[in-house]
Amino acid sequence: MIHIPAELAPARVDYLPMIRRPRIEWPDGARVAFWIAPNIEHYEYLPPRDPKRNPWVRTPHPEVQGYSQRDYGNRVGFWRMLDVLDRYETRCTVSLNLAVFEHYPEIGEAMMSRRWEVMSHGIYNTRYITSMSEQEEREFLLESIETMQRHTGQPLKGMLAPAVGNNLRTPDLLAEAGLLYHADWMHDDQPVPLRVKQGRLVSIPYSIELNDVPVFLTNADVADFAANAKAQFDTLYREGADSGRVMCLAIHPYLMGTPQRARYLDEILEYIHRHEHVWHTTAGDIAEHFLEHSYDEFVASAAALTGEHIGHERQG
Amino acid sequence: MPAERSYGMDHEHYRWSPLPERPQLVWPTGAPLALGAVVLLEHYEWQPPEDAYTLRSASGGLIKLPDPDYLRLTHREYGHRVGIFRLLDTLERHDVPATVAVDLLTAFHYPWLVDHCVERGCEIIAHGVAASRLITSKMSIEQELDTIATSIAGIERATGRRPVGWFSPEGVESERTPALLASAGISYVCDWPNDEQPYAMTVPEGSLISLPLFLEADDEFALWTRRMRLPDWQRLIVESAETLRHDGGTSGRLLMLTLRPWLTGQPFRVPVLDAALTGVDDLGPIWKATGHQIVTAYDDIRSRNPQVRP
Repeated sequence: MIHIPAELAPARVDYLPMIRRPRIEWPDGARVAFWIAPNIEHYEYLPPRDPKRNPWVRTPHPEVQGYSQRDYGNRVGFWRMLDVLDRYETRCTVSLNLAVFEHYPEIGEAMMSRRWEVMSHGIYNTRYITSMSEQEEREFLLESIETMQRHTGQPLKGMLAPAVGNNLRTPDLLAEAGLLYHADWMHDDQPVPLRVKQGRLVSIPYSIELNDVPVFLTNADVADFAANAKAQFDTLYREGADSGRVMCLAIHPYLMGTPQRARYLDEILEYIHRHEHVWHTTAGDIAEHFLEHSYDEFVASAAALTGEHIGHERQG
Repeated sequence: MPAERSYGMDHEHYRWSPLPERPQLVWPTGAPLALGAVVLLEHYEWQPPEDAYTLRSASGGLIKLPDPDYLRLTHREYGHRVGIFRLLDTLERHDVPATVAVDLLTAFHYPWLVDHCVERGCEIIAHGVAASRLITSKMSIEQELDTIATSIAGIERATGRRPVGWFSPEGVESERTPALLASAGISYVCDWPNDEQPYAMTVPEGSLISLPLFLEADDEFALWTRRMRLPDWQRLIVESAETLRHDGGTSGRLLMLTLRPWLTGQPFRVPVLDAALTGVDDLGPIWKATGHQIVTAYDDIRSRNPQVRP
């Protein structure tokens, strides 16, 4: 017998096709909500052994070259990237390994003086949620919220899991801890309501395609990356005339802040800033706007779509 | 044991047939090239059954992460939610009818989407149970029969029509698959990317035609596995079509694109498909058809001219 599950795991997302959704209206008639996510990370020199994942596979620990490539991002690349971002007075949503506040307070000050929004990217990029027990995961979230509060005075609104590793229960724990959004879902160009045990949680479209890590860790050219970013924007901008879209540019200072690549970040931003009707914003602001204006309508539309088909089945 | 070095194939699924020795193939419109597009709607499960066989390195996401790999799994769900509509719009703009391969879990859990594809005039073909449950020789014959029958029945239930075409999940087969597909009433199979014309397969019961997809242009093979640059992929499609039109002057050729909504349906990729199809349109007359139309035409030519044999 072929097993057909009654519901597709992880049963967190109701199907709502792009062409059957309520209209999303971003502030000031914007077509695209554009957010930039610099990932500011610390990979540990001697990370604790993890049963499921090894950050440094090239050599026994320490792996000095891999460590240094990323360390370069904080020592040098970040500051070059910042020069480019400053030209556009960009308010980024930093995907932050929160221990960076303690290891590198100069980076923390640079971000806070620019009013960047902080999205948790865990504590270190070498401490994985996937290997945590439920209790450990709860403590990890409390520690993240506390670290955030101590260094910024702000509540934590969202998370991109450290090194993008999650558990099936992670969305429930995020909502329970009062977070608004989870950025590990690559499933859409708009925010999507996620079913959680209590409260409300949405996914905010991050990108694993328009992201310098997969691109530059393979044989790819930065000029192509810039061309792809512009093409991404063009398509979403055109479609955004019908209903608001989200575009995320995900970058890492150790890759995009290198001397040969930084100018292409400038090229991408210059292109996008040439357009009107773009909401230059943060993941938290997108989540809040969606929760206030669209969340209920989206949930109701998905329920109606499912209901239509249950009715159809009964007739058939 | 060394292989037996006898004339022709080392299996009995089809006969050896070098293309220049075949009788001329003329498509219904007289165009030298038939163009089609197979669009895949496939579900990759978060928790496949324990005995399911999956590819060691399935595409999507970042790197192979420990379960649950949110990035890869949600990346692929993008196709059903968003990417499919861009692909269908683009194909329609160029009058290329879509042949949509729908797996059982998609047919069962996305009835709205299947209806939508049918309403748009797409041909729906069967595509196994799920991208996370491959048909391989590790399966028993009973399991394989059940997989094929249930997948076909699922499409019939969702669309009201029994599918005539089949594409195995990830193109993976056991050595029994062609025979079992034919005995289940399937007319054509897309698993063998080995030719520029359809050809008849040798099956003990029923009849089965192989409709070869063009692997080099397959979006996953070109853009994900080989990480081809998008302008190069565009050029590959247009230049291939140009050569095939030329060579099709002697005997008709086939260009079947394979497109994944989660991949080519991304905002930055879909304009390149559009540009490639514009480039193909500029070459001159082409017969654009569904898998079923192509196979029917081939069958018709074959029955009228007994010389056209594989």
